[in-house]
Amino acid sequence: MNGERLLPVPDETSAAFWSAASDHVLTVARCSACNAATMPPDLVCPACRTSEPDFQFVPVSPRAAVCSWTITRQALLPGFEVPFMLVDAQLIDAPEVRLIGRLLDGVDAPIELGAMLDVVFEDLTDGISVPAFALAAVS
Amino acid sequence: MSGAFVARGQVAIVGYAHSQVERHAARPLGLVTLDTARAAIADAGLAVDQIDGFVCSTLFPTAGDHAVQDGVSTVTSGWLAERLGVDPAYVAGFQGFGQIPGIVAMATNAIASGAADYVLVHRALHNPTGKYHGSALRAASGAMQWTAPQGFFGPMAMIGLTYNEYLQRYSASREAMAAVVVEARKNGARIPWSYWHGKPLTADEYLAAPMVSDPIGRLDCDLPVDGAAVFIFTSAERARDLPHQPVLVSGYASSMPTRRRLPLHWPLDDLMESGTALAQRLWRSAGVGPSDIDLPQLYDGFSPFVYLWLEALGLCPVGEAHRFVQDGGIDGDRPGALPVLSGGGALGNGRMHGIPQMLECYLQLSGRAGHRQRSDVSVGLACHSSPHLGGAVVYRSGER
Repeated sequence: MNGERLLPVPDETSAAFWSAASDHVLTVARCSACNAATMPPDLVCPACRTSEPDFQFVPVSPRAAVCSWTITRQALLPGFEVPFMLVDAQLIDAPEVRLIGRLLDGVDAPIELGAMLDVVFEDLTDGISVPAFALAAVS
Repeated sequence: MSGAFVARGQVAIVGYAHSQVERHAARPLGLVTLDTARAAIADAGLAVDQIDGFVCSTLFPTAGDHAVQDGVSTVTSGWLAERLGVDPAYVAGFQGFGQIPGIVAMATNAIASGAADYVLVHRALHNPTGKYHGSALRAASGAMQWTAPQGFFGPMAMIGLTYNEYLQRYSASREAMAAVVVEARKNGARIPWSYWHGKPLTADEYLAAPMVSDPIGRLDCDLPVDGAAVFIFTSAERARDLPHQPVLVSGYASSMPTRRRLPLHWPLDDLMESGTALAQRLWRSAGVGPSDIDLPQLYDGFSPFVYLWLEALGLCPVGEAHRFVQDGGIDGDRPGALPVLSGGGALGNGRMHGIPQMLECYLQLSGRAGHRQRSDVSVGLACHSSPHLGGAVVYRSGER
Protein backbone atom coordinates (compact mmCIF):
# COMPACT_ATOMS: atom_id res chain seq x y z
CA MET A 1 0.00 0.00 0.00
CA ASN A 2 1.27 3.45 -0.84
CA GLY A 3 1.08 6.56 1.25
CA GLU A 4 2.97 7.85 4.22
CA ARG A 5 3.29 6.09 7.55
CA LEU A 6 0.81 7.19 10.18
CA LEU A 7 2.35 9.25 12.96
CA PRO A 8 1.86 9.06 16.70
CA VAL A 9 0.16 12.07 18.26
CA PRO A 10 2.02 12.89 21.48
CA ASP A 11 -0.18 14.02 24.36
CA GLU A 12 0.37 14.97 27.99
CA THR A 13 0.79 11.30 28.94
CA SER A 14 3.32 10.53 26.21
CA ALA A 15 5.16 13.67 25.12
CA ALA A 16 8.30 12.79 27.10
CA PHE A 17 8.42 9.34 25.50
CA TRP A 18 8.23 10.70 21.95
CA SER A 19 10.68 13.47 22.78
CA ALA A 20 13.26 10.92 23.98
CA ALA A 21 12.45 8.68 21.00
CA SER A 22 13.29 11.50 18.61
CA ASP A 23 16.77 11.39 20.18
CA HIS A 24 16.76 7.59 19.73
CA VAL A 25 16.53 7.00 23.48
CA LEU A 26 14.13 4.32 24.75
CA THR A 27 12.25 5.21 27.92
CA VAL A 28 9.64 3.44 30.00
CA ALA A 29 7.03 5.02 32.27
CA ARG A 30 7.88 4.51 35.94
CA CYS A 31 5.50 5.17 38.82
CA SER A 32 6.72 7.95 41.10
CA ALA A 33 5.35 6.11 44.13
CA CYS A 34 6.65 2.55 43.58
CA ASN A 35 9.04 2.84 40.61
CA ALA A 36 7.33 -0.02 38.74
CA ALA A 37 7.54 0.26 34.96
CA THR A 38 4.30 0.28 32.93
CA MET A 39 3.74 0.62 29.20
CA PRO A 40 1.66 2.36 28.27
CA PRO A 41 1.17 4.44 31.42
CA ASP A 42 -2.32 4.50 32.91
CA LEU A 43 -4.33 6.76 35.19
CA VAL A 44 -3.61 4.30 38.01
CA CYS A 45 -0.35 2.44 38.66
CA PRO A 46 -1.13 -1.24 38.02
CA ALA A 47 1.58 -2.30 40.49
CA CYS A 48 0.81 -0.22 43.61
CA ARG A 49 -2.65 1.06 42.57
CA THR A 50 -1.93 4.66 43.49
CA SER A 51 -4.23 7.13 41.76
CA GLU A 52 -1.38 9.63 41.60
CA PRO A 53 1.36 7.67 39.83
CA ASP A 54 2.88 10.79 38.22
CA PHE A 55 4.56 8.53 35.65
CA GLN A 56 8.00 9.65 34.54
CA PHE A 57 9.66 8.41 31.36
CA VAL A 58 13.04 7.04 32.39
CA PRO A 59 15.73 5.79 29.97
CA VAL A 60 16.14 2.03 29.93
CA SER A 61 18.49 -0.39 28.17
CA PRO A 62 17.25 -1.07 24.64
CA ARG A 63 18.13 -4.76 25.00
CA ALA A 64 15.13 -7.09 24.76
CA ALA A 65 14.43 -10.83 24.47
CA VAL A 66 12.07 -12.34 21.88
CA CYS A 67 8.77 -13.67 23.27
CA SER A 68 6.97 -14.15 19.95
CA TRP A 69 6.74 -12.91 16.37
CA THR A 70 4.36 -12.81 13.42
CA ILE A 71 4.71 -11.91 9.75
CA THR A 72 2.15 -9.35 8.66
CA ARG A 73 1.16 -9.97 5.04
CA GLN A 74 -1.90 -7.70 4.70
CA ALA A 75 -1.51 -3.97 4.30
CA LEU A 76 -4.12 -2.70 6.75
CA LEU A 77 -2.43 0.67 7.28
CA PRO A 78 -0.99 3.11 4.76
CA GLY A 79 2.75 3.44 4.41
CA PHE A 80 3.91 -0.07 5.32
CA GLU A 81 5.37 -2.40 2.73
CA VAL A 82 4.25 -5.95 3.35
CA PRO A 83 5.34 -8.47 4.35
CA PHE A 84 7.11 -7.39 7.51
CA MET A 85 7.91 -9.11 10.77
CA LEU A 86 6.46 -7.93 14.06
CA VAL A 87 8.22 -8.96 17.25
CA ASP A 88 6.94 -9.15 20.82
CA ALA A 89 9.93 -8.70 23.12
CA GLN A 90 10.54 -8.31 26.84
CA LEU A 91 12.87 -5.56 28.04
CA ILE A 92 15.83 -7.08 29.86
CA ASP A 93 16.10 -4.18 32.33
CA ALA A 94 12.32 -3.82 32.81
CA PRO A 95 10.97 -7.36 32.47
CA GLU A 96 7.43 -6.26 33.35
CA VAL A 97 7.36 -4.46 30.00
CA ARG A 98 6.87 -6.17 26.64
CA LEU A 99 6.95 -4.05 23.50
CA ILE A 100 5.84 -4.84 19.95
CA GLY A 101 7.52 -3.47 16.86
CA ARG A 102 8.92 -4.30 13.45
CA LEU A 103 12.08 -6.36 13.12
CA LEU A 104 14.10 -4.32 10.64
CA ASP A 105 16.27 -7.33 9.70
CA GLY A 106 13.43 -8.55 7.46
CA VAL A 107 11.06 -11.50 7.35
CA ASP A 108 13.78 -14.07 6.72
CA ALA A 109 15.90 -13.04 9.69
CA PRO A 110 16.89 -15.93 12.00
CA ILE A 111 14.72 -15.58 15.07
CA GLU A 112 13.86 -17.81 18.00
CA LEU A 113 12.40 -17.55 21.49
CA GLY A 114 14.78 -15.67 23.77
CA ALA A 115 16.88 -14.23 20.94
CA MET A 116 18.42 -10.88 21.88
CA LEU A 117 17.24 -7.72 20.15
CA ASP A 118 17.90 -4.03 20.51
CA VAL A 119 15.26 -1.35 20.25
CA VAL A 120 16.20 0.95 17.37
CA PHE A 121 14.34 3.91 15.91
CA GLU A 122 12.83 4.69 12.52
CA ASP A 123 12.88 8.42 11.72
CA LEU A 124 9.50 9.22 10.17
CA THR A 125 9.68 13.02 10.22
CA ASP A 126 11.98 15.65 11.64
CA GLY A 127 10.51 15.35 15.11
CA ILE A 128 9.04 11.85 15.18
CA SER A 129 10.96 8.60 15.50
CA VAL A 130 9.21 5.30 16.15
CA PRO A 131 10.74 2.34 17.99
CA ALA A 132 11.43 -0.90 16.15
CA PHE A 133 13.79 -3.83 16.74
CA ALA A 134 17.02 -5.17 15.28
CA LEU A 135 18.79 -8.42 16.04
CA ALA A 136 21.51 -7.73 18.61
CA ALA A 137 25.11 -8.46 17.72
CA VAL A 138 25.90 -11.73 19.50
CA SER A 139 27.86 -10.99 22.64
CA MET B 1 -18.75 -16.44 49.32
CA SER B 2 -19.13 -19.98 48.01
CA GLY B 3 -19.34 -18.88 44.39
CA ALA B 4 -22.27 -21.25 43.82
CA PHE B 5 -24.98 -19.71 41.64
CA VAL B 6 -28.08 -19.49 43.84
CA ALA B 7 -30.39 -19.36 40.82
CA ARG B 8 -28.83 -22.55 39.39
CA GLY B 9 -31.39 -24.38 37.28
CA GLN B 10 -34.09 -21.76 37.85
CA VAL B 11 -33.83 -19.96 34.51
CA ALA B 12 -34.53 -21.58 31.14
CA ILE B 13 -34.12 -21.01 27.44
CA VAL B 14 -37.48 -21.81 25.87
CA GLY B 15 -37.17 -20.88 22.22
CA TYR B 16 -34.90 -19.52 19.51
CA ALA B 17 -34.61 -18.42 15.92
CA HIS B 18 -31.60 -17.92 13.67
CA SER B 19 -31.43 -16.05 10.38
CA GLN B 20 -29.60 -17.27 7.33
CA VAL B 21 -25.92 -16.40 7.62
CA GLU B 22 -24.93 -14.46 4.53
CA ARG B 23 -21.89 -12.58 3.31
CA HIS B 24 -24.11 -9.54 2.72
CA ALA B 25 -27.81 -9.78 3.49
CA ALA B 26 -30.20 -8.32 0.92
CA ARG B 27 -32.05 -6.42 3.67
CA PRO B 28 -30.76 -4.17 6.46
CA LEU B 29 -29.58 -6.01 9.57
CA GLY B 30 -32.34 -4.45 11.67
CA LEU B 31 -35.04 -6.05 9.52
CA VAL B 32 -33.29 -9.41 9.55
CA THR B 33 -33.14 -9.17 13.34
CA LEU B 34 -36.78 -8.09 13.64
CA ASP B 35 -37.98 -11.09 11.62
CA THR B 36 -35.74 -13.39 13.66
CA ALA B 37 -37.08 -11.95 16.91
CA ARG B 38 -40.70 -12.50 15.86
CA ALA B 39 -39.85 -16.08 14.84
CA ALA B 40 -38.15 -16.77 18.19
CA ILE B 41 -41.09 -15.41 20.19
CA ALA B 42 -43.46 -17.62 18.20
CA ASP B 43 -41.10 -20.59 18.58
CA ALA B 44 -41.32 -20.18 22.36
CA GLY B 45 -45.11 -20.25 22.18
CA LEU B 46 -45.41 -16.64 23.25
CA ALA B 47 -46.94 -13.43 21.95
CA VAL B 48 -44.88 -10.30 21.33
CA ASP B 49 -46.62 -8.39 24.12
CA GLN B 50 -45.48 -10.97 26.68
CA ILE B 51 -41.81 -10.02 26.17
CA ASP B 52 -40.92 -7.62 28.98
CA GLY B 53 -37.13 -7.78 28.94
CA PHE B 54 -34.44 -7.19 26.28
CA VAL B 55 -30.72 -7.90 26.54
CA CYS B 56 -28.00 -7.76 23.88
CA SER B 57 -24.47 -6.73 23.09
CA THR B 58 -23.68 -4.44 20.19
CA LEU B 59 -19.91 -4.64 19.67
CA PHE B 60 -18.99 -4.13 16.01
CA PRO B 61 -15.69 -5.99 15.98
CA THR B 62 -13.75 -4.19 13.27
CA ALA B 63 -10.54 -2.21 13.32
CA GLY B 64 -11.53 -0.56 10.06
CA ASP B 65 -13.06 2.81 9.29
CA HIS B 66 -16.75 1.91 9.49
CA ALA B 67 -19.59 3.98 10.91
CA VAL B 68 -21.78 2.38 13.58
CA GLN B 69 -25.45 2.85 12.74
CA ASP B 70 -28.24 1.33 14.82
CA GLY B 71 -30.45 -0.91 12.70
CA VAL B 72 -27.84 -1.15 9.94
CA SER B 73 -24.39 -2.12 11.26
CA THR B 74 -25.62 -3.07 14.72
CA VAL B 75 -28.98 -3.58 16.42
CA THR B 76 -29.55 -2.47 20.00
CA SER B 77 -32.20 -3.82 22.35
CA GLY B 78 -33.89 -0.43 22.34
CA TRP B 79 -34.08 -0.36 18.53
CA LEU B 80 -35.57 -3.84 18.46
CA ALA B 81 -38.10 -3.28 21.29
CA GLU B 82 -39.33 -0.10 19.65
CA ARG B 83 -39.85 -1.81 16.26
CA LEU B 84 -41.61 -4.76 17.92
CA GLY B 85 -43.90 -2.25 19.59
CA VAL B 86 -43.03 -3.34 23.10
CA ASP B 87 -42.58 -1.11 26.17
CA PRO B 88 -40.27 -3.37 28.20
CA ALA B 89 -39.73 -3.31 31.96
CA TYR B 90 -36.06 -4.25 31.61
CA VAL B 91 -33.48 -3.31 28.94
CA ALA B 92 -29.77 -3.96 29.38
CA GLY B 93 -26.63 -4.23 27.28
CA PHE B 94 -23.34 -5.99 27.90
CA GLN B 95 -20.17 -3.97 27.38
CA GLY B 96 -17.36 -6.55 27.66
CA PHE B 97 -15.81 -8.93 25.14
CA GLY B 98 -17.28 -12.26 26.27
CA GLN B 99 -20.56 -11.03 24.92
CA ILE B 100 -22.69 -14.11 24.58
CA PRO B 101 -21.97 -15.44 28.09
CA GLY B 102 -22.29 -11.84 29.28
CA ILE B 103 -25.78 -11.34 27.86
CA VAL B 104 -26.88 -14.80 29.03
CA ALA B 105 -25.79 -13.87 32.56
CA MET B 106 -27.71 -10.57 32.43
CA ALA B 107 -30.86 -12.22 31.10
CA THR B 108 -30.59 -15.01 33.66
CA ASN B 109 -30.21 -12.53 36.50
CA ALA B 110 -33.16 -10.50 35.26
CA ILE B 111 -35.41 -13.57 35.26
CA ALA B 112 -34.12 -14.88 38.58
CA SER B 113 -34.63 -11.52 40.27
CA GLY B 114 -38.10 -10.99 38.84
CA ALA B 115 -37.00 -7.90 36.92
CA ALA B 116 -38.66 -9.46 33.87
CA ASP B 117 -40.67 -12.61 33.11
CA TYR B 118 -39.75 -13.18 29.45
CA VAL B 119 -36.42 -11.84 28.22
CA LEU B 120 -35.43 -11.64 24.56
CA VAL B 121 -31.68 -12.08 24.06
CA HIS B 122 -30.26 -11.25 20.67
CA ARG B 123 -27.03 -10.79 18.79
CA ALA B 124 -26.85 -9.29 15.31
CA LEU B 125 -23.60 -9.12 13.37
CA HIS B 126 -22.80 -7.16 10.25
CA ASN B 127 -20.28 -7.39 7.46
CA PRO B 128 -19.75 -3.87 6.07
CA THR B 129 -18.85 -3.33 2.45
CA GLY B 130 -15.20 -2.47 1.85
CA LYS B 131 -12.17 -3.78 3.67
CA TYR B 132 -13.23 -5.15 7.07
CA HIS B 133 -10.15 -4.14 9.08
CA GLY B 134 -8.49 -1.71 6.66
CA SER B 135 -7.81 1.84 7.80
CA ALA B 136 -6.68 5.03 6.17
CA LEU B 137 -5.55 6.41 9.54
CA ARG B 138 -2.91 9.13 9.18
CA ALA B 139 -2.40 9.83 12.87
CA ALA B 140 -2.55 7.58 15.93
CA SER B 141 -3.69 9.26 19.11
CA GLY B 142 -4.62 7.87 22.50
CA ALA B 143 -3.87 4.22 23.17
CA MET B 144 -3.19 3.50 19.51
CA GLN B 145 -0.07 5.71 19.49
CA TRP B 146 1.76 2.88 21.28
CA THR B 147 1.14 0.27 18.58
CA ALA B 148 -0.14 1.44 15.18
CA PRO B 149 2.82 3.70 14.20
CA GLN B 150 5.03 0.67 14.95
CA GLY B 151 3.01 -1.45 12.48
CA PHE B 152 1.03 -3.44 15.07
CA PHE B 153 -2.60 -3.10 14.07
CA GLY B 154 -5.69 -5.29 13.84
CA PRO B 155 -6.70 -8.61 15.34
CA MET B 156 -4.78 -10.89 12.96
CA ALA B 157 -1.40 -9.63 14.17
CA MET B 158 -2.76 -9.78 17.72
CA ILE B 159 -3.63 -13.46 17.53
CA GLY B 160 -0.61 -14.21 15.32
CA LEU B 161 1.71 -13.29 18.19
CA THR B 162 -0.25 -15.36 20.72
CA TYR B 163 -0.47 -18.35 18.39
CA ASN B 164 3.21 -18.29 17.48
CA GLU B 165 4.10 -18.10 21.17
CA TYR B 166 2.10 -21.31 21.64
CA LEU B 167 3.65 -23.04 18.63
CA GLN B 168 7.19 -22.14 19.67
CA ARG B 169 6.77 -22.98 23.35
CA TYR B 170 5.19 -26.39 22.76
CA SER B 171 6.95 -27.27 19.49
CA ALA B 172 3.58 -27.52 17.78
CA SER B 173 3.08 -27.39 14.02
CA ARG B 174 0.63 -25.38 11.94
CA GLU B 175 -0.46 -28.68 10.38
CA ALA B 176 -2.05 -29.82 13.65
CA MET B 177 -4.62 -27.01 13.44
CA ALA B 178 -6.11 -28.57 10.31
CA ALA B 179 -7.96 -30.95 12.64
CA VAL B 180 -9.72 -27.95 14.24
CA VAL B 181 -10.67 -26.06 11.09
CA VAL B 182 -11.72 -29.17 9.17
CA GLU B 183 -13.88 -30.26 12.12
CA ALA B 184 -15.58 -26.85 12.30
CA ARG B 185 -16.29 -26.83 8.57
CA LYS B 186 -17.45 -30.47 8.58
CA ASN B 187 -20.09 -29.63 11.17
CA GLY B 188 -20.95 -26.24 9.71
CA ALA B 189 -21.57 -27.91 6.36
CA ARG B 190 -24.41 -29.86 8.01
CA ILE B 191 -26.19 -26.74 9.30
CA PRO B 192 -28.82 -25.29 6.95
CA TRP B 193 -28.43 -21.61 7.94
CA SER B 194 -24.61 -21.67 7.94
CA TYR B 195 -22.70 -19.65 5.35
CA TRP B 196 -20.63 -22.81 4.87
CA HIS B 197 -23.64 -25.15 4.47
CA GLY B 198 -22.69 -27.97 2.15
CA LYS B 199 -19.11 -26.70 1.94
CA PRO B 200 -16.76 -28.87 4.03
CA LEU B 201 -13.00 -28.34 3.87
CA THR B 202 -10.04 -30.68 3.51
CA ALA B 203 -6.80 -30.43 5.46
CA ASP B 204 -4.94 -29.79 2.21
CA GLU B 205 -7.26 -26.90 1.35
CA TYR B 206 -6.75 -25.47 4.82
CA LEU B 207 -2.97 -25.65 4.53
CA ALA B 208 -2.97 -24.21 1.01
CA ALA B 209 -4.92 -21.07 1.97
CA PRO B 210 -2.89 -17.85 2.01
CA MET B 211 -1.21 -16.63 5.19
CA VAL B 212 -2.38 -13.32 6.65
CA SER B 213 -0.26 -12.97 9.78
CA ASP B 214 1.96 -16.04 10.10
CA PRO B 215 1.23 -18.49 11.59
CA ILE B 216 -2.38 -17.31 11.13
CA GLY B 217 -3.74 -18.11 7.69
CA ARG B 218 -6.96 -16.93 6.10
CA LEU B 219 -8.85 -20.05 7.16
CA ASP B 220 -7.80 -19.66 10.80
CA CYS B 221 -10.11 -16.62 10.88
CA ASP B 222 -13.89 -16.72 10.80
CA LEU B 223 -15.60 -14.96 7.93
CA PRO B 224 -17.44 -11.67 8.55
CA VAL B 225 -21.14 -12.09 7.79
CA ASP B 226 -24.60 -10.64 8.24
CA GLY B 227 -26.70 -12.66 10.62
CA ALA B 228 -28.93 -12.55 13.68
CA ALA B 229 -29.84 -14.98 16.44
CA VAL B 230 -32.50 -14.62 19.13
CA PHE B 231 -33.22 -16.66 22.27
CA ILE B 232 -36.13 -16.39 24.72
CA PHE B 233 -35.49 -16.80 28.46
CA THR B 234 -37.98 -17.32 31.26
CA SER B 235 -38.18 -19.11 34.59
CA ALA B 236 -37.92 -22.89 34.75
CA GLU B 237 -41.35 -22.84 36.37
CA ARG B 238 -43.04 -20.91 33.55
CA ALA B 239 -41.12 -23.03 31.01
CA ARG B 240 -43.20 -26.07 31.97
CA ASP B 241 -46.21 -24.50 30.23
CA LEU B 242 -44.34 -23.81 26.99
CA PRO B 243 -43.97 -26.07 23.95
CA HIS B 244 -40.30 -27.08 24.03
CA GLN B 245 -38.11 -28.95 26.49
CA PRO B 246 -36.32 -26.20 28.44
CA VAL B 247 -32.56 -25.84 28.73
CA LEU B 248 -31.50 -24.55 32.15
CA VAL B 249 -28.65 -22.21 33.06
CA SER B 250 -26.46 -23.97 35.67
CA GLY B 251 -23.93 -21.20 36.13
CA TYR B 252 -21.59 -18.80 34.38
CA ALA B 253 -18.27 -17.01 34.72
CA SER B 254 -16.31 -14.31 32.96
CA SER B 255 -12.74 -13.05 33.04
CA MET B 256 -10.63 -9.93 32.71
CA PRO B 257 -6.96 -9.43 31.94
CA THR B 258 -4.79 -9.26 35.04
CA ARG B 259 -1.89 -7.31 33.55
CA ARG B 260 -1.67 -4.02 31.75
CA ARG B 261 -0.31 -4.49 28.25
CA LEU B 262 -0.09 -2.60 24.99
CA PRO B 263 -3.46 -2.44 23.20
CA LEU B 264 -4.27 -5.81 21.57
CA HIS B 265 -1.23 -7.46 23.14
CA TRP B 266 -2.29 -10.91 24.31
CA PRO B 267 0.67 -12.82 25.79
CA LEU B 268 -0.01 -16.54 26.13
CA ASP B 269 0.60 -16.56 29.88
CA ASP B 270 -1.92 -13.74 30.41
CA LEU B 271 -4.58 -15.67 28.52
CA MET B 272 -3.97 -18.89 30.40
CA GLU B 273 -3.73 -17.30 33.85
CA SER B 274 -7.09 -15.52 33.52
CA GLY B 275 -8.65 -18.43 31.67
CA THR B 276 -7.70 -20.90 34.38
CA ALA B 277 -9.21 -18.61 37.03
CA LEU B 278 -12.37 -18.28 34.92
CA ALA B 279 -12.68 -22.06 34.76
CA GLN B 280 -12.45 -22.37 38.54
CA ARG B 281 -15.18 -19.74 38.98
CA LEU B 282 -17.31 -21.51 36.39
CA TRP B 283 -17.09 -24.91 38.12
CA ARG B 284 -17.98 -23.32 41.48
CA SER B 285 -20.88 -21.42 39.93
CA ALA B 286 -22.35 -24.39 38.05
CA GLY B 287 -21.52 -27.14 40.56
CA VAL B 288 -19.84 -29.32 37.94
CA GLY B 289 -16.30 -30.02 36.76
CA PRO B 290 -14.69 -30.52 33.36
CA SER B 291 -15.37 -34.27 33.33
CA ASP B 292 -19.13 -33.63 33.71
CA ILE B 293 -19.41 -31.68 30.44
CA ASP B 294 -20.87 -33.79 27.61
CA LEU B 295 -20.90 -30.97 25.09
CA PRO B 296 -18.09 -28.42 25.57
CA GLN B 297 -18.69 -25.94 22.75
CA LEU B 298 -15.46 -23.97 22.42
CA TYR B 299 -15.08 -20.55 20.84
CA ASP B 300 -13.15 -20.51 17.58
CA GLY B 301 -13.35 -17.02 16.06
CA PHE B 302 -9.62 -17.57 15.55
CA SER B 303 -8.68 -21.25 15.46
CA PRO B 304 -6.04 -21.04 18.26
CA PHE B 305 -8.79 -20.20 20.75
CA VAL B 306 -9.80 -23.87 20.60
CA TYR B 307 -6.39 -24.93 21.95
CA LEU B 308 -6.47 -22.25 24.64
CA TRP B 309 -10.00 -23.09 25.84
CA LEU B 310 -9.28 -26.83 25.81
CA GLU B 311 -6.34 -26.20 28.11
CA ALA B 312 -7.81 -23.41 30.27
CA LEU B 313 -10.94 -25.47 30.99
CA GLY B 314 -8.85 -28.50 31.89
CA LEU B 315 -10.23 -30.60 29.03
CA CYS B 316 -6.68 -31.55 28.10
CA PRO B 317 -3.26 -30.89 29.69
CA VAL B 318 -1.58 -27.53 29.10
CA GLY B 319 0.61 -27.66 26.00
CA GLU B 320 -1.11 -30.81 24.72
CA ALA B 321 -4.08 -29.45 22.77
CA HIS B 322 -2.26 -29.60 19.45
CA ARG B 323 -1.62 -33.32 19.96
CA PHE B 324 -5.13 -33.88 21.36
CA VAL B 325 -6.81 -32.56 18.22
CA GLN B 326 -4.44 -34.42 15.89
CA ASP B 327 -5.26 -37.67 17.68
CA GLY B 328 -8.97 -37.24 16.90
CA GLY B 329 -9.79 -35.84 20.35
CA ILE B 330 -12.36 -33.35 19.02
CA ASP B 331 -13.86 -35.41 16.19
CA GLY B 332 -17.55 -35.19 17.00
CA ASP B 333 -18.30 -38.26 14.88
CA ARG B 334 -15.91 -40.45 16.87
CA PRO B 335 -17.31 -42.21 19.97
CA GLY B 336 -15.58 -41.02 23.12
CA ALA B 337 -14.20 -37.82 21.58
CA LEU B 338 -15.10 -34.33 22.85
CA PRO B 339 -17.56 -32.70 20.42
CA VAL B 340 -16.15 -29.19 20.93
CA LEU B 341 -17.19 -27.90 17.49
CA SER B 342 -20.29 -29.99 16.81
CA GLY B 343 -22.27 -26.81 16.21
CA GLY B 344 -19.76 -25.71 13.58
CA GLY B 345 -18.45 -22.82 15.66
CA ALA B 346 -17.62 -19.48 14.11
CA LEU B 347 -15.24 -21.09 11.59
CA GLY B 348 -18.07 -23.33 10.34
CA ASN B 349 -20.94 -20.80 10.41
CA GLY B 350 -19.48 -17.34 9.91
CA ARG B 351 -18.63 -14.56 12.37
CA MET B 352 -21.63 -14.96 14.68
CA HIS B 353 -19.39 -14.58 17.77
CA GLY B 354 -20.38 -17.08 20.49
CA ILE B 355 -23.84 -17.78 19.05
CA PRO B 356 -23.00 -21.12 17.38
CA GLN B 357 -21.66 -22.44 20.70
CA MET B 358 -24.74 -21.33 22.65
CA LEU B 359 -27.15 -22.51 19.97
CA GLU B 360 -25.58 -25.96 19.78
CA CYS B 361 -25.98 -26.32 23.55
CA TYR B 362 -29.62 -25.26 23.26
CA LEU B 363 -30.46 -27.50 20.30
CA GLN B 364 -28.75 -30.62 21.65
CA LEU B 365 -29.90 -30.24 25.27
CA SER B 366 -33.52 -29.55 24.25
CA GLY B 367 -33.56 -32.47 21.83
CA ARG B 368 -34.17 -30.15 18.88
CA ALA B 369 -31.05 -30.82 16.80
CA GLY B 370 -32.97 -32.91 14.23
CA HIS B 371 -30.80 -35.27 12.20
CA ARG B 372 -27.76 -33.96 14.07
CA GLN B 373 -29.25 -34.90 17.48
CA ARG B 374 -26.75 -36.57 19.81
CA SER B 375 -28.04 -39.22 22.19
CA ASP B 376 -25.57 -38.84 25.01
CA VAL B 377 -25.73 -35.21 26.10
CA SER B 378 -27.31 -33.54 29.12
CA VAL B 379 -24.68 -30.99 30.28
CA GLY B 380 -23.23 -28.43 27.88
CA LEU B 381 -20.77 -25.55 28.03
CA ALA B 382 -20.61 -22.58 25.67
CA CYS B 383 -17.76 -20.12 25.77
CA HIS B 384 -16.89 -16.99 23.85
CA SER B 385 -13.92 -14.78 23.08
CA SER B 386 -10.45 -15.23 24.56
CA PRO B 387 -10.03 -17.05 27.89
CA HIS B 388 -8.64 -13.85 29.45
CA LEU B 389 -11.49 -11.50 28.58
CA GLY B 390 -14.29 -13.84 27.69
CA GLY B 391 -16.85 -15.93 29.45
CA ALA B 392 -18.53 -19.30 29.63
CA VAL B 393 -21.94 -20.71 30.58
CA VAL B 394 -22.89 -24.21 31.71
CA TYR B 395 -26.31 -25.48 30.57
CA ARG B 396 -28.30 -28.55 31.55
CA SER B 397 -31.29 -30.27 29.98
CA GLY B 398 -34.45 -29.36 31.88
CA GLU B 399 -37.55 -31.46 32.46
CA ARG B 400 -41.02 -30.85 31.19
